[in-house]
Amino acid sequence: MTPSTPAVGLRGITKVFGSVRANNAISLDIHAGRIKALLGENGAGKSTLMSILAGHYLPDAGEILIDGRPCHLRSTKDAIKAGIGMVYQHFMLVEAMTVAENVFLGQEPGFLLSPKAMREQVRALAGSFGLDVDPDARVADLSMGEKQRVEILKLLQRESRILIFDEPTAVLTPQESEQLFAALRSMAAQGKAIVYISHKLGEVMALADEIAILRRGEVVDEVPAAEVHSQSDLARRMVGREVLLEVTREPVELRQNVLRLSGVRAGVMRDASLSLRQGEILAVVGVAGNGQKELVETVCGLRAPEAGEVSVLGKSWQAFFADPSWQGGLSYIPEDRQGLAVCKGMDLVDNFLLTTRKGYSSTVWLQRDKAAAVAKELVEQFKVSPPDVTSQARQLSGGNLQKMVLAREFHRRPRLIVAEQPTQGLDVSAIEEVWATLLAAREEAGILLVTGDLSEALALADRIAVMFGGEIVDIFPADDRQRVDRIGQMMAGMKPDAEH
Amino acid sequence: MPVLSAVRRQEPLGWGSCLVFLAALALAFTVSGTLLAVQGKPALQALWLLVESAFGSRYALEDCLIKAVPIFLCSLGVGLTFRLQVWNIGAEGQFALGAVGATWAALTFPGWPWYALLPFMLLCASAAGGLWGAIPAVLRLKLRANEIIVTLMLNYVGILILDFLVYGVWKDPASFGFPMTSEFVPAAVVARIGDTRLNWGLLLCLAVGMLMSVFLRSTRLGFELRACGENVRAARYARMPYSFLVVLVMVVSGALAGWAGFLEASATLGRLQPSIMSGYGYTAIVVAWLANLNPLVIAVASFLLAGVRVGMETLQLDLQVPAAFGGIMEGSILLAVLAGGFFSRYRLHLRRAA
Repeated sequence: MTPSTPAVGLRGITKVFGSVRANNAISLDIHAGRIKALLGENGAGKSTLMSILAGHYLPDAGEILIDGRPCHLRSTKDAIKAGIGMVYQHFMLVEAMTVAENVFLGQEPGFLLSPKAMREQVRALAGSFGLDVDPDARVADLSMGEKQRVEILKLLQRESRILIFDEPTAVLTPQESEQLFAALRSMAAQGKAIVYISHKLGEVMALADEIAILRRGEVVDEVPAAEVHSQSDLARRMVGREVLLEVTREPVELRQNVLRLSGVRAGVMRDASLSLRQGEILAVVGVAGNGQKELVETVCGLRAPEAGEVSVLGKSWQAFFADPSWQGGLSYIPEDRQGLAVCKGMDLVDNFLLTTRKGYSSTVWLQRDKAAAVAKELVEQFKVSPPDVTSQARQLSGGNLQKMVLAREFHRRPRLIVAEQPTQGLDVSAIEEVWATLLAAREEAGILLVTGDLSEALALADRIAVMFGGEIVDIFPADDRQRVDRIGQMMAGMKPDAEH
Repeated sequence: MPVLSAVRRQEPLGWGSCLVFLAALALAFTVSGTLLAVQGKPALQALWLLVESAFGSRYALEDCLIKAVPIFLCSLGVGLTFRLQVWNIGAEGQFALGAVGATWAALTFPGWPWYALLPFMLLCASAAGGLWGAIPAVLRLKLRANEIIVTLMLNYVGILILDFLVYGVWKDPASFGFPMTSEFVPAAVVARIGDTRLNWGLLLCLAVGMLMSVFLRSTRLGFELRACGENVRAARYARMPYSFLVVLVMVVSGALAGWAGFLEASATLGRLQPSIMSGYGYTAIVVAWLANLNPLVIAVASFLLAGVRVGMETLQLDLQVPAAFGGIMEGSILLAVLAGGFFSRYRLHLRRAA
């Protein structure tokens, strides 16, 4: 093996789910002794790519080269044999067993085991990579950081040469993260190839040798870490500014206030204040995990504000959510449409009734026939495929499911719409339809658009709010060029007024 | 080397699932027959005897129907909770409390006419059984206590309460020391239908079964219950009354099991005694899963598993098969049918690895 041969080479990897290209002709080289960061928003295709590498999916096109030789990874077993190991966000450990037992699970040296030898081997392995953990401890008693070290030891014990980490710091404390970084550097120094998946800019900057940026299933940028000057530079590369689709946005007359937050605290979100009027779209942008989830859950009544005041459509939070009307109120289009917005095992009529049931019942009875007729019309109007209301929600692709959810939520004639990553995972034509629908909805509603995609925010929004560290850093009109140019810096935590 | 892999079916299986069900039954009978053969019993003859003595005569069929009534009521209740993914395995204890409640009414107001006493007994049985169901529901919601453990434990408590009463304050002085209450007055006994041995409780089952079907299919609350059982997070998103539903299904389930206890005490035994506990509440769990939680299928499955009980009595007498064999059959039928469910949901296909 010459030094220039990458440990793993991906050549034109493409994976299509339904009409969505989760990975489109991705080519990447992963070298031994280097840390490669894979940076991208949720749904950019990072996980799909790594699942292909870990043997969960076969690519539809393209090939994987291991040490320069083409290799078919048909199962996780093949991937392990090829020396590829993955540390998932959810640990796969037997809680009741000790660290040493977990490390050797499935790769016991023989029928008879020597606990002492296993212990010593684990201790030696842990020492050589700086992964401090007691081999005799029960996994159930360990902290998240220690459990993660056990996962890593499992892979090292198998002599995996390519280690993939999927958002490893999501579950760690800052100190544990530092220890992990030291261990990663030590592993790289000893010749392992490391792939580090994340959307945290700071970590990637501090750790990586090379950074590949994924957006909408494609590698849009690949740079040596040394060439990245600042986090805002990286953020700009990650969210993109290019115009994906041309939509015409006619200004709509602003009318009454539909949402007002002042000094609201909930979870990591602190001191959030904003107001939204009928006729406008307010886009909330920021790197995921900076308080957007708490904001949405509070506004949508799934989480009570811990401090501050929320008023929805002129009523206090408590009064509004005590008895929300099914029509003319609030519609929430969640990011997790499969898990939150629908029941996958029920048919489209039942799913239509999920949030509209109060409009289709008399006393105790449910008027299912009436609902079925309306659902049928909506399915045709929104071009949901298959256009059959008796099909189960699980049979619909992600894009069609989203259309179904939109059809249902717009049928409720909402005056406040919360749309969370509404076009994530959709193909271009579906995105265009969703955007047009949202723009048209401004006539009757105020829209809070939470998105990780800056081009979406710029295409749709009248005003833009940037979140970082649980706070709303700034809110400004979308045509304020100066501040729009500084969005990347604000997303990386720099104050809006500070000079670059 | 060819690799067998399972793929989730996109379309439901339809009639094929009937075939799967029959195959599962056949497997369960094969396992049971093998066990009989191991014991040195004539397997085929024994299984035939079981079927014939359960369904072969009018007397036997009546017996099956009588036993099917408490199984059906308990099963309808636990099936309702299972739909919400609340795992009530406490029908046995709720049954005991229902019997206690009804007996209290019968012993306290023996002078009332039947048209007042019987409805009052039914009411007391519902209240006692419903209360026994409400406890685990409230503990689950307030303290996040696992309802499986709580309902199971409350079974023992319920049965001990029943024992405490019939060994103590309610013991009939004329029973020569046997633990039983005195016989109910005629007004406290549910009458028989015509010249059959069946009682009017059967009609109650019919009515409540139909009500349950209509409730689940056509009411808004029934829809909310189905949706909550399907996806709790989506139900929360759609602002459905999940906590209320948990309490509701547990109380209804407890009340229905309580009715079963009432009918057994009043119509079958005519008094309260420890032998009233014969495991109907556990059979009900088996029945609910066999019927895929569908109220009408629960009726059929109750009848069939009542048949296993009736047939087993003959098998015990004629071939000296141990009584535990009935439980083994029940269990193997359930396991086979549950395993068969895999084939209804997944398609197996063979692929050749390179």
